[in-house]
Amino acid sequence: MSFLEYLKNNRARVILFLTSFSVILITLGIIQTLLFESINFFSELAESRGWFTFDWDLAGITSGTGIAAAIFLLVYIAELLITKFTIEQETKLDIILFPKQFVIYIAAALLVVQFFVLDTLLMGVAFVFVFITWRRLASAVNKQRYGMQLSDSTLWRNISLGFFLIALAKSITMNYGGALGEFFLTTNWNPALKPVSFGVNSLLLTTLQVAFGALIIAVPLGVGCAIYLSEYAPPRLVAVVKPTLELLAGIPSVVYGFFAFIYIGPLVVELGEYFYANGWIDEPPNVLNPINGAIVVGVMILPLIASMSEDALRAVPNELREGSLALGATKIETTFKVMIQASLSGIIASIILALSRAVGETMAVTLAVGTVAVFTANMFLPAQTMTAYIAQRVGGDLPFGEIGYLTIFAVGLYLFVITLTLNLIGNRVLAAYREAY
Amino acid sequence: MKDIDNLQKRSRKLRDFAETMGSSGLAFTGLVGLLFLAILVWQITAPTFIDGESGEIPAANEFITESDYEMEWDYPNTDSNGALTTDAIVLEISWDGGDEVHELQINIISERDIYEDVYINESGLSTNIVEIGRKTKFHLYSSLTEVVLVIQNSGPVPSADETGKPLVSSFVIEYDIAVVYDGGLVFEPLEIIAYATLIFLVIIYRAPKSNILEFMHKLVGKERMVLAIFYALALVTTIAGGLSVPSTLAALCWILAARMMSALIKGIERMLHSGRKLSEVSRLKHSISNRDGLLMWSSMLLVTSTLFIPLEIYIPFLTERYQDIFSPYSSGIRAAFYGTIWVMLIAMISSVPISVGAAIYLEEYAKPTKTTKLIQALVTNLAGVPSIVFGMFGLAIFVKQGGIGWGLGPSILAAGLTMGVMAMPIIVLASQEALRSVPRSLRESAYGVGCTQWQVTKDHVLPSAMPGIMTGSILAMSRIMGEAAPLVVVGATAMIVFDPEPLAGLFGGNVNFTVIPIQIYFWTSEPDPAWHAMAAAASISLIALLVAMNSIAIVLRQHFRRRLN
Repeated sequence: MSFLEYLKNNRARVILFLTSFSVILITLGIIQTLLFESINFFSELAESRGWFTFDWDLAGITSGTGIAAAIFLLVYIAELLITKFTIEQETKLDIILFPKQFVIYIAAALLVVQFFVLDTLLMGVAFVFVFITWRRLASAVNKQRYGMQLSDSTLWRNISLGFFLIALAKSITMNYGGALGEFFLTTNWNPALKPVSFGVNSLLLTTLQVAFGALIIAVPLGVGCAIYLSEYAPPRLVAVVKPTLELLAGIPSVVYGFFAFIYIGPLVVELGEYFYANGWIDEPPNVLNPINGAIVVGVMILPLIASMSEDALRAVPNELREGSLALGATKIETTFKVMIQASLSGIIASIILALSRAVGETMAVTLAVGTVAVFTANMFLPAQTMTAYIAQRVGGDLPFGEIGYLTIFAVGLYLFVITLTLNLIGNRVLAAYREAY
Repeated sequence: MKDIDNLQKRSRKLRDFAETMGSSGLAFTGLVGLLFLAILVWQITAPTFIDGESGEIPAANEFITESDYEMEWDYPNTDSNGALTTDAIVLEISWDGGDEVHELQINIISERDIYEDVYINESGLSTNIVEIGRKTKFHLYSSLTEVVLVIQNSGPVPSADETGKPLVSSFVIEYDIAVVYDGGLVFEPLEIIAYATLIFLVIIYRAPKSNILEFMHKLVGKERMVLAIFYALALVTTIAGGLSVPSTLAALCWILAARMMSALIKGIERMLHSGRKLSEVSRLKHSISNRDGLLMWSSMLLVTSTLFIPLEIYIPFLTERYQDIFSPYSSGIRAAFYGTIWVMLIAMISSVPISVGAAIYLEEYAKPTKTTKLIQALVTNLAGVPSIVFGMFGLAIFVKQGGIGWGLGPSILAAGLTMGVMAMPIIVLASQEALRSVPRSLRESAYGVGCTQWQVTKDHVLPSAMPGIMTGSILAMSRIMGEAAPLVVVGATAMIVFDPEPLAGLFGGNVNFTVIPIQIYFWTSEPDPAWHAMAAAASISLIALLVAMNSIAIVLRQHFRRRLN
């Protein structure tokens, strides 16, 4: 059957497949946009600092790190082949695989010495890997000869793959080294005024302050709410509260931001004044601050945690509850020792997804936390989160392609990676608990 | 043995105590959480009734040294008929020669470029009441040699001093306090009775009481009379209300109430006929025909009619556009409202067909291959990507020119497409859920009579899953309606003085647009508290819109869930 005939017979299937394929296109588009502009940002930053002029040279591959990457790759391949490697008879290879004991000791000693000689740390680690794989190969051969079961653990293989990827990334990005280091390791974020500096950690710190502050508020209240709704509350109350939770989850974040700006901010300032009067903080508080943001984001994610945790608690089969009660456990014991244990992964998934939501929250945080990027533990001063930086930066008129415009993509990529990781973990946990029941 | 009994008793007491404390603690935490949410709802709604800015307006105080003095106000304080809408601007002009004090009343009217100047000489002012146009300068000419003192006693503060520089950066005019309501009832008494009747019938339908049913039982055989009375009432209500919107709604209420009454009476008759007693109220719901439909229509009608209350109150806030930075209370969200509607419409058109198609493919057609699993994982993870990242995607793909950019500019079209992309994973997930809940037996019986896969999907699965898909789409739309972050990135602006053009990105024209959340964001960012009141009002309008959409979705879902079960 030719391709055209297939198209003709399966029109619906093909069209529907194309629609679902657009999801892949969107994801690729997002990644492409962020990655491409971020690379532009790093190269432009490195260029403006005079470190190097960007050119797709792969000079890093031939450096020590590049060689280390190659060694890691070899180790990985050897680990892949380790189970298929059959040497039944004694061959000349045995001299390499099973040398005299003192040769092994000398090799081990050399491994320790080479750390002091080599200036590339990854290379040293690579030699350690080579040594360990050598011994593993030997023991595998030994096991095969004596008819023992080979272990099928892939842990070591995965570790070596991980090191290979790290070394490869490091060797490729070696020329961006300064830019990447400045972006990920320094703490001064000042993209507008000269001298500019791009240390994303000051944005990241505020983001984490807000997100974890929100969790501190939302987790006890949200999980308590969920337990109350699923275990104690009368059904009529649940019938009212559940849609209300949905409505609350649907209130736009900008409205929450307004709420924080007008109502929560002054309250937090009063608290800060008290702190300041007692000398616990050294600068007078401001209306815009991370605590303000944490409170409002906590309120925002409370419905999410409450409704997802309640779903998790309700998904626990009733037999568990009844069995526990029948054994003479009291209601509180049942709740704590059976229900929460049984739905723990669901509750944790809800918390992780809520954390991801809190990290990605934009408008409320922009209005509540402020627009001054600072790196300080004092949570009563105005600060700026990653999302707020993006929102504030694009608010002004920016020429496309300028370095200030490119920063938002670098920050956006970092944000995307953080939230994607959290979502992946959360969804994995969620799927695990869905499978359990 | 006795000792053991005692021990057990004591430990039981301890356990009981721990149990009581623990459960009450849990219940307390839960209640605090609920209270927190309740306070939030109250706080969001409570402060948003605008009272206008009251209090002292500082008067300007200037010496006139030369012959020419220039003042300027920014916003009209008269309406189109010339009547004053705020305190009159009264200048008290005094000078030493003879201790003369003169008062000058100034009316600023909305037509532009009208000049009328006032001359001061020994005998006094040339005129007592001046009308000048908005945004025009106003000159006082003095032919006196001595200093003339000008004090403004009431009215708004002028925005410029004699050198022409602004005196204050912004000020508040007591004008157009947003909700103008001229007393009287929103609904006529007859309309209120109509709504009360409908609510009463809904309550009877949901929780029947036997004594009320006994009263209804007396009406058996008189259904025609009851119907006639109700229809007559509908007619009277419409005519008395002069065909206004609430009266028409009330007439609909009467008609629906009539249908419900006749269905109820027939239901009672049927119940008695089948050998039940009136006291078995729980059987009633099985004997009323089309009970669910009637209930759904009546609740929809009741919700809709509450939405029409604002129509009876004059709200310039909803019908005016942004004016200028100095006149908060006369600005409105008209442009933003149109922007929201257009963005949502474009997002819906672009995303719903594709998303539903993707959901159908994933649920009905796809085999569990790696590609399918990848798409599924991507959909799940895209739903959790921060909205601002979608905004950056939109900026790079739809707004920018060159590369893979489509070059639509910061227009409604680009914003709508961005929002569509954002809504897509949500709609896909909801539609998949809906398709999954369609029972397997339905598909198998359709295959059994020889349908092809597409026919099964189109004619049997999709209609059953439609309510769920609709609910998901409405919820996704209401979510993107409240999102501001992607649009900030795409390039929405707040100062829009015209209605937006939806297709400006393609065919040229003015691409600027705004939506309600963006208005709230920018108005909250303004330093002037008057703008905060406007932001509060805009928030309340937005929440009202969202609640309306969400409640439609919830009603739909509850209704169809009951039907499927």
